[in-house]
Order: sequence, then C-alpha cells, then structure tokens
Amino acid sequence: MRRLGLLSLNAIFSFIPASLLTGATVEGRVELPKSRSAPVQAKRYEIVTKAGVLSTQPPLAVVYLDGNFPRPASLPMKEVRQKDLTFIPALLPIEVGTRVQFPNLDDTYHNIFSYSPTKRFDLGRYRPEERPIPSVVFDTAGLVTLRCDIHEHMRGLILVLNTPYFVMTDTTGRFRLDKLPPGHYTLKAWIDSRTTRQKPVELKDGQTLHVDLP
Amino acid sequence: MSAAGATRNKGVASFRTRLFTAIMVIVATLTALGFYLAQRRVTADAEQNLRQTFQTELSSMHKVEELRYAALADRCNALAAKPRIHAAIEDDAIDLLYPSAKDELRDLMEGDEPPPEQAARSLHARFYRFLNNTGAVIKPPNASDVGELDAATEAQLSLPKLPDMQQIGYIQSAGDIHEVITVPIFSTDTGDLVSALVIGFKPLELENRRTGIQSGIWVGGHLHLPALAGSAKTSLNEQITTALANSDSEQNYFRVEVAGAPQLLFHKRLNPGSLFPPAYEICLYPLASWTAQLHRLRWQIGGAGVLLLLGGFVASHFVALNMSAPVKKLALDSEENRAERERAEAALASTAEELERSSRYSADASHQLKSPMTVLRIGLESLLEREGFKPEIYEELSTLLHQTRRLTGVIEDLLLLSRMDAGHVQIASTPVNLSRLVDEWLDDLGALPDSPDVKIEKEFPPGLFVAGEKRYMSLIVQNLLENARKYNRLGGRIRVSALGNGKDVVLKIGNTGPTIPPSENIFERFHHSSTPSAASGHGIGLNLARELARLHGGELRLVYSEDDWTEFEVRFSAANGVNAVA
Repeated sequence: MRRLGLLSLNAIFSFIPASLLTGATVEGRVELPKSRSAPVQAKRYEIVTKAGVLSTQPPLAVVYLDGNFPRPASLPMKEVRQKDLTFIPALLPIEVGTRVQFPNLDDTYHNIFSYSPTKRFDLGRYRPEERPIPSVVFDTAGLVTLRCDIHEHMRGLILVLNTPYFVMTDTTGRFRLDKLPPGHYTLKAWIDSRTTRQKPVELKDGQTLHVDLP
Repeated sequence: MSAAGATRNKGVASFRTRLFTAIMVIVATLTALGFYLAQRRVTADAEQNLRQTFQTELSSMHKVEELRYAALADRCNALAAKPRIHAAIEDDAIDLLYPSAKDELRDLMEGDEPPPEQAARSLHARFYRFLNNTGAVIKPPNASDVGELDAATEAQLSLPKLPDMQQIGYIQSAGDIHEVITVPIFSTDTGDLVSALVIGFKPLELENRRTGIQSGIWVGGHLHLPALAGSAKTSLNEQITTALANSDSEQNYFRVEVAGAPQLLFHKRLNPGSLFPPAYEICLYPLASWTAQLHRLRWQIGGAGVLLLLGGFVASHFVALNMSAPVKKLALDSEENRAERERAEAALASTAEELERSSRYSADASHQLKSPMTVLRIGLESLLEREGFKPEIYEELSTLLHQTRRLTGVIEDLLLLSRMDAGHVQIASTPVNLSRLVDEWLDDLGALPDSPDVKIEKEFPPGLFVAGEKRYMSLIVQNLLENARKYNRLGGRIRVSALGNGKDVVLKIGNTGPTIPPSENIFERFHHSSTPSAASGHGIGLNLARELARLHGGELRLVYSEDDWTEFEVRFSAANGVNAVA
C-alpha cells in the first residue's frame, strides 16, 4: 500500500514543473571522529583499519537519505582509479546497480578483488593498457572492501546505497543534500564500517532543513 | 719356666691370629668396597651412556623439528601477508580461506606420504586447518584438499584461544599419532592475531640404530609405542602415567620391567609450555647387555677379591710369622728384664733397710754416748778447778779434758751425720758472710796452742756472701782449715782464696805438707791415712764437710795433691743479691 502511495506521489511530482518546485534541502554537520593526525588540506585521503574497522583518514562521512526510491533505468558509470598504488577515490558511494570501472594508471599490474559478502569479484591481473577497462556492477547494497592481490597494502571502499540521494561531507563534517523529494525519511551518516548514525526527517518541498548528526 | 713358656707361646700364637684376622678383614673390606664402587661406576656409566644416547637422538630430532618450524614459519608469514587470506579472514569470506591457502600450501600436501624412513625428515604434511579468532577449527569446504580427519581428531586441533606463538601438540587418531604445529597468523594490516594455521605431520621417530631400543610417544594417558602390545603396553602405560603424574621435571628416567626384562625408560616433554596437552617422548633401552656386563664385572671383581684374599692369606701368614719372631724375642727379653729388675728391687729394699737401721743405730749410739761424755767433761772440769793436786795431775787432767772435748766433738759430728743420713737435717738458709767466717777461723787457728809455724796467705775479697746455715758453713770451713794446719809441715804455708762469679762462690784452701795418694778415698767415713803421720784425726771430718756442702747444694773436692801441695775446693751457692761486688 505504502509503496503504491509513494509511487503515486512520485507520479504527481513528475507532473510539477521543475522550475517551480526544486525539492527539499537538508544541510548540517556530522560530528566526525577525532582525526589522529592534523587536518590535511589536500583532497587525498586513505582507508585505514583499526581493530577491524575501516574508515577514511582524515575522517569523512557519507550522508544519505534512506528510503525506497525508484530504480533509474540507467546509471552513470563511476570510476575507482589505481594511481601510485592507491585507490582514488578511496571511498566511493554509489547507488545500487552502478557500474564501476577500475582503470589502472600505474606502470604495473594490479589485481583488484573483493571477498566482501556484498560483492565478490576478482578482476585478475591487468595492465594499464588493458581494454576494455575492467568494471563491475554492484547490485547489492552494502560495503565492499577493495583489495589488490599484488599490493597487499592497497585498500578501497565502495559504499553501495539503495538511494540516489547521498553526499560526502567535507573534513569538518559539513554536508548539503538538495533536490530531495518531500516526505518522511531517515537521514543516515556512514562514518566507518561499523558506525552509521541516523535521524528521522520530514522533508517539505522548497524547504531547507538543518540536521546535525552528532 | 715351662709353664711360662707355654703361656708365652700361646700369647704369641694369639697375636699371630689377631694380626692375620686384621689383615683378612682389611682385604675383605677393600674387596667389598672395590666391588661396590665398581658396580656403582658401571651403573652410573651405563645410565650416563644411555642418557647421552637419548639426548643425542632427541637433539637430532629437535633439529629436524626446528627445520620444520622454520619452513612453516616462512609459509605462515607468507600466508599472513597474502591479501586473499586477509580478505577471507577479515571480510568474513571463510569459505574462500582454504581455497586461497591451497596454492600456498600445495607443496606441503602434494603427493603420497613418503616411505617411513623419509617421512621423518620431510616436510610432507598430513593435513592442515585454520583456527578462527576464538581458537576453534574453521571447517574446510572440501576436506579431501586439506587432509581428511574424523570429527574427534579434528576437535583436538582446537585451542582454548588463538596462540601468539608456535605450539606443538600431539593428537591421537585411531591408533595413530599426529604431530601438529600451530602457527599464529597476524594481520599485516593491524598486527592483530587473526587466525592460526594448524599443520599435521607424521611424528618424528628416533632412529633406532642400536638394536632393541624402542621409542614412542605418551600423550593424554595413552602410550603410542608400536613395538609393544597387549598387557605389557598397558602395564607400562600405567607406570609411565604414574611417574609423570608424580614428576615435575620435564625429563627424567627410571627403571621398568617390560615383559620380565629390565629396561631403562627415559621420558622427555616434547612440547614444553604448549597449549596442547603435554606429550612425552618415551625411550626404552634394554638393560640386558648392561646387566650381562655387570654380571661379568661382578665375576671379575669377585675373582679378584678371592685372589686378593688368598694373597692376603699368604702374605698375612708371612707377615705374622716375621712379626711374631721379634715379638717372641721381645717377650723373652722382657721376662728376663723383669726377673733382673725384681732382684735389683729386692737388693735396693734390703740396702735401704740396712741403711736406715744403721743410721738409726748411729743416732741412738750418739745419744747414748753424749750424756756420759758430758758427765765426764763436767767432772774433769770440776777436778781441774780444785786445788791441792800435784802439777803432773793437773797436766794429766787437762789432757783428759782435751780428749774428752775431742770425743764430744766426734760424737756431735757423728750425731749430725746420722741425722743427715736419716734426712732429719733442715737448712734455714740465710746469707752468710764467708769472708768474715774464714777470717774468724784463721784467727782461732793462730791462737791454738799447738799450732806449728805456718804462714797464712789470704786471697779473697771482703764481704763474700753465700747462702746457707751459718753453723754448718762454719763447720765446713773449720774442718778444712784444721786439716790444713794439722797435715802441714814445719815452716809450711796455708793459702785461702775465694772468688764469686755471681752464681757460685768457690773457696780454695791449700796447704803444704805430705800429699794424699790418689788411691786413697779420703772422703770415706772413718778413713785413716795409710801413711803414718803425726797428726791425729777421727776420720769423719772430711766426710761431714762434704755431706754438709752437698746439703747446701754445693760440693767439696780435692783438686790438687802433688809436690808438697794439697788443695781442697768448696763450692757454695752465692747469696742472691747480696754479693753486689763479686
């Protein structure tokens, strides 16, 4: 019933001209764990493991609106590059069904694989010039740990989400999600492989909601 | 004498027996001691040898094990570094763990088990398993790839927790024993202990180069010793279990009887400090050859002891004979000596008795004589005082009185001598001025009515003191001076000299006149000169003087009597501290 209702709501929204209704906006701040090192200005960050918990360093969070959203027909291809024996980006949030390709930008072999229950795959060894660029479709929501069989220290994360509405915070934890559909949802913040914070939100068209996730 | 001889012979015989017994006892003791020491030595040597063999074989086994550990440690480190292993453990892809490890451990598992003589030296594993983070075995998806084990055996691989260092264990499975090595796997990422690899091998067996040595493993109350079976194994297992329960040390040895044969059993903990149940290497060394050696030695020592005893018998016989000869002689001599001594003692006793009797007689006689002499003297004196006798009578009376006085003097001398002989004379020693004493007596000498015309020479310092009783000193000096005057010739001389040397004072009195022949013993009591002389003496003066000098610790002797010169010398003890000038 609810699913039907939502669908009908969506159908109504789709008739409203976009120029008139820009959707709801959520902005706020996620309280990030204390960084072990001084804040870095550079965009680069990496995946670290501490007591079996994977997180980014410096700490970042992925804020997303949880709910049942219609699956789009096609999704743009995403990319996790291997450059200087690291994954770039180290943490990639994607919507379920997204194809991610793994271009090798190093002068050496890589062998990207994952034993994560969310998605198991093994791309085998490949060189930079290998075409087509190896890619994987992530069809289940969850966290995927990327590893390289040749370079044991390499770690990457792909956060597969059931929603198209997600954004990464900056290093201070600030985020802004816009063009959100109005309604009752749960706003979630993924902080590390074991920590996700959440808050129920009620979104109204044209409104900007301020939500802090401490 | 024949009875004494028999006793003596018996005594010598018993001495010989005792000597012989003593030698035999010493020989027997030495033999027994030698036997005991040799046996102890053999036992200690045998045990030492067997212990060394055991240690050597164990250490060679340990070398192989170390090789295994080193190889396995490399393997495990490589495994732990493998991203796929990490991914399988950390990303909950346990089903992918064994397949991921398969390539890495392929060489351990590949091929059939090698023949037993090579198995001990090879790295060939029978099985392997991984432990999860609680120490439990992770079930393999396909047991045939990792070595099949029944559930009970596999359960023994689990540990109460993940070990942080290599563990060695021995587990039993259907009559066989596996040696397992558990190696921890640390995450290369976090350094955390994430898993452990358990690899099972065929246990190393000690090389039984020496025949009859049996080795096995004891673990968890079970003995794995293929060479033994049935009740012998059961009873041995019980003994080992009891011994191990009572022993704290990791290795030890004791004697056991296996099927009636004595054996030396060594045991050593194979996995000290392991999380696995304690397992012991058991080694049985047959003592048969050692016992035979001991038997042989026992015979040898016994034979040597018998020979020694025989030798001792002969030697002691000779020694006893040789030694008893002088003893026999000694016994004879001592018998003669005793008889002689008895005779001498009897003679001495009778002499002493006689002497005492004579001296007592002398004393009694003197006393008996003294009283009438006093009466006689007083009577003569009172007659001389009367008037009216003819002058010839007075002269006669005077002569009689003189003779009476002489007789009184003789009696007094005799009395003194006899008292001295009886030991009744005590000396009250005081310093006596000898110089003055001599001077006084020389004065008296000159005043005597019948003194011949002699010249007197004095050579002594004044104030020479001697230690003694004055009246006896006086007697000595008087005697000598009177003799010097009495036996002088007309126109002769008397020389008196004295000299002190600090300790003694020597008084010399010499006179001219007829000499004394050397054969005459002038110091003898009642001696009378053989040469006729005008001088008269009663023959006890010199004897008395000498006795008195000796009583004072001094001496009187004749030092010279030749060529018209006779000289006597008296030595006195100097009075201490008085003769300042000697």
